Amino acid sequence: MRRVLLYEAFERFWHWAQALLIILMMLTGFEIRGLGIHLFGFERAVSLHNTLAVTLVVLIVFAIFWHVTTGEWRQYIPTRTFLREMVAFYLTGIFKGAPHPVKKHRMAKLNPLQRLAYLGFKVMIIPIQITTGALYYFYPNLQHALHWPASSLWIIAVLHVATAFGLVAFLVGHVYLTTTGHTPLTNLKAMVTGWEDLHDDAYFDEQ
Amino acid sequence: MFHPPRRPSHARPGRALGTLLGLMLPLALGQAQPPARATGHGSFTAFHEAKAHRLTADHSKFKILQGPFKDGDGPAVTRACLTCHTKAAEQVMATSHWTWNISKGGQDGFGKSTHLVNNYCISTIGGNTESCARCHVGYGYKDKTFDFTNQENVDCLVCHDTTGDYEKEKAGLPNPAVPLAEVAQKVGAPTNRNCGTCHFFGGGGDATKHGDLDDTILNAPRAEDVHMSKQGAGMDCIDCHVSDGHRINGPNYVVPADRREQPKYPGEAVSRMACTACHSDSPHRSYILNRHYQKVACQTCHIPAFARGKIPTNLYWDWSTAGRLKDGKGYEEEDANGFEDYNSMHGVMKWARNVTPTYIWYNGNLTFTRLTDTLRIPKDGPVVLNPAEGSYADPNAKIWPFKLHDGVQPYDTVLNRFVAPYTAGPKGSGAYWGDWNWDVAIRMGMETAGLPYSGHHGFVKTTMLWPITHMVAPKEQALSCTECHSRKGRLAQVSGFYLIGRDRGRGLDQIGLGIIALTLLGVGIHGFIRYTKGHF
Repeated sequence: MRRVLLYEAFERFWHWAQALLIILMMLTGFEIRGLGIHLFGFERAVSLHNTLAVTLVVLIVFAIFWHVTTGEWRQYIPTRTFLREMVAFYLTGIFKGAPHPVKKHRMAKLNPLQRLAYLGFKVMIIPIQITTGALYYFYPNLQHALHWPASSLWIIAVLHVATAFGLVAFLVGHVYLTTTGHTPLTNLKAMVTGWEDLHDDAYFDEQ
Repeated sequence: MFHPPRRPSHARPGRALGTLLGLMLPLALGQAQPPARATGHGSFTAFHEAKAHRLTADHSKFKILQGPFKDGDGPAVTRACLTCHTKAAEQVMATSHWTWNISKGGQDGFGKSTHLVNNYCISTIGGNTESCARCHVGYGYKDKTFDFTNQENVDCLVCHDTTGDYEKEKAGLPNPAVPLAEVAQKVGAPTNRNCGTCHFFGGGGDATKHGDLDDTILNAPRAEDVHMSKQGAGMDCIDCHVSDGHRINGPNYVVPADRREQPKYPGEAVSRMACTACHSDSPHRSYILNRHYQKVACQTCHIPAFARGKIPTNLYWDWSTAGRLKDGKGYEEEDANGFEDYNSMHGVMKWARNVTPTYIWYNGNLTFTRLTDTLRIPKDGPVVLNPAEGSYADPNAKIWPFKLHDGVQPYDTVLNRFVAPYTAGPKGSGAYWGDWNWDVAIRMGMETAGLPYSGHHGFVKTTMLWPITHMVAPKEQALSCTECHSRKGRLAQVSGFYLIGRDRGRGLDQIGLGIIALTLLGVGIHGFIRYTKGHF
């Protein structure tokens, strides 16, 4: 058993800042949408939602820089290896106390399902939200300049909201799956402190 | 004028001398200290002092205005005015205040003296001119024989009286009790009272017609009218309705509303009717609020309700129910609020205060109806007398607040045109309010008007649009976002665009929330099985 620094300081900061921003954007977004949340009031919810969006984009720019310069982006390269085993583990193995099919390693800290999910999050959900959000915000200018029909805002709104629902569903699944580590809190602690005790032997040697 | 220097008390020796001089000099010059002026805009006193300061003539010093003038001899006063202001009458006579007529889109007849129709008093030209001309800027307008070319007939005093003693009667002639010489010596620029003499009383009574203009404006608290209130900016009508050689900017009949107007040459008097002329088109701190200006008129948010004074405005006027008599005489009834809801002369009426406007796309053009226009009566719903032009796609159109005035009024069922009944007259004259006979009143009215009448009349429901733009509320009272950005908000009926907070597909919400619920259910079950198997 070794203590390994799985998540660097910036990575943890990015993760938790992003989590906070997304949760606040979810709350303000639902309030703007009129889904029964009355936390901020419409006007403040709108301005907060926009401010949070800009903050999130800035954070993501830094995160992209970090991923590129550290090479950590490779953690998200999708793989089929052990993919079937992972699915089987969540569907059956986990109920029988079977060992986790994929060994965590500093250089491969994400299992194949995580890789797929987070990659999808990074290249699908977030870009769609940023794009539709920006189109939404600048709609009056764009509609005027590009002579868009009046219904175009409707399309932007539907895309933005549908993806937002998807993002919230993702968040629910993500939070639950953090409890599937060695103990229910193992993964959470690692994401807070950065350190995790890796019990199993790595499936390839430490560098 | 000498202003004593203001310095902190420790400034320097010799300040005592300065202070002494400061105190003595104005006394020596026979002037009191100017009263302290409020800073920034919003001081009635400062504003009107500045205006008084600009005057170069004291009319009480002119011999020709000493009189005496014969009682009620308005034209004599006008002759006196014209000895100095030689071109003034000519200027007035070129305006619609005088002609009571407006040409629009190359067509004539959109005025009170011509063929314009409304659903209050309907029309002046069916024999009612004499009583309606109380509000004509002239003397002696009784009927169509009135000489519109005689300069002496121009009434200078109705707009320029500053005493409040001037009063017009039938045919626009001065009340003989008015001390004409006294009034003439105190003329000045029109105040709110001058404009209000007519414009507050449109439709036959205070607040009746417009809903955003009534004489409570003269003493309005700031909450009622942030511009006109003496506790507000203390402005006069003419500060926005700027005039250019007696041509006053702002008639809603011709000038597209709420457009920024630039002077064509230095010094041209430009209408300040558009809010933006003073406030700019980005007056809010919030970028998002500023951008509303592209599609939302300032008035929409900043006039949360009309008739916010003490006086109710008329919302409904049903001529078809007029003429019910008790013992052969007309009578009146009041509703629970004490507002007159029946009057034999007018029929059933509805009045209200603090009315939420109706919101309509509007590019500044209202298409008015004349007595000579053929009606298209919709199968359901009223004839709109002056539909507003505009839609979301129209770059000049904005969402505007309107007072909708509903009515039922007579029309010619064969010619399909509105009619101008003769209403104001004594018993035996044939006027409706004397003899209670629509057929006679319409026949006489149309004859006087010189218009054809088939002899068959009926009643038709009508609606008229009155843009709301006065009685702007202080910013604290501006509408909050959810007044419109909500499902059943104020803009629920305004179509043609997607409005956040109002338009959301229930289907999308159900699917989205459903997916979230299913995810929660899924992880719940998964976790529960793990727990029961002891592997959580």
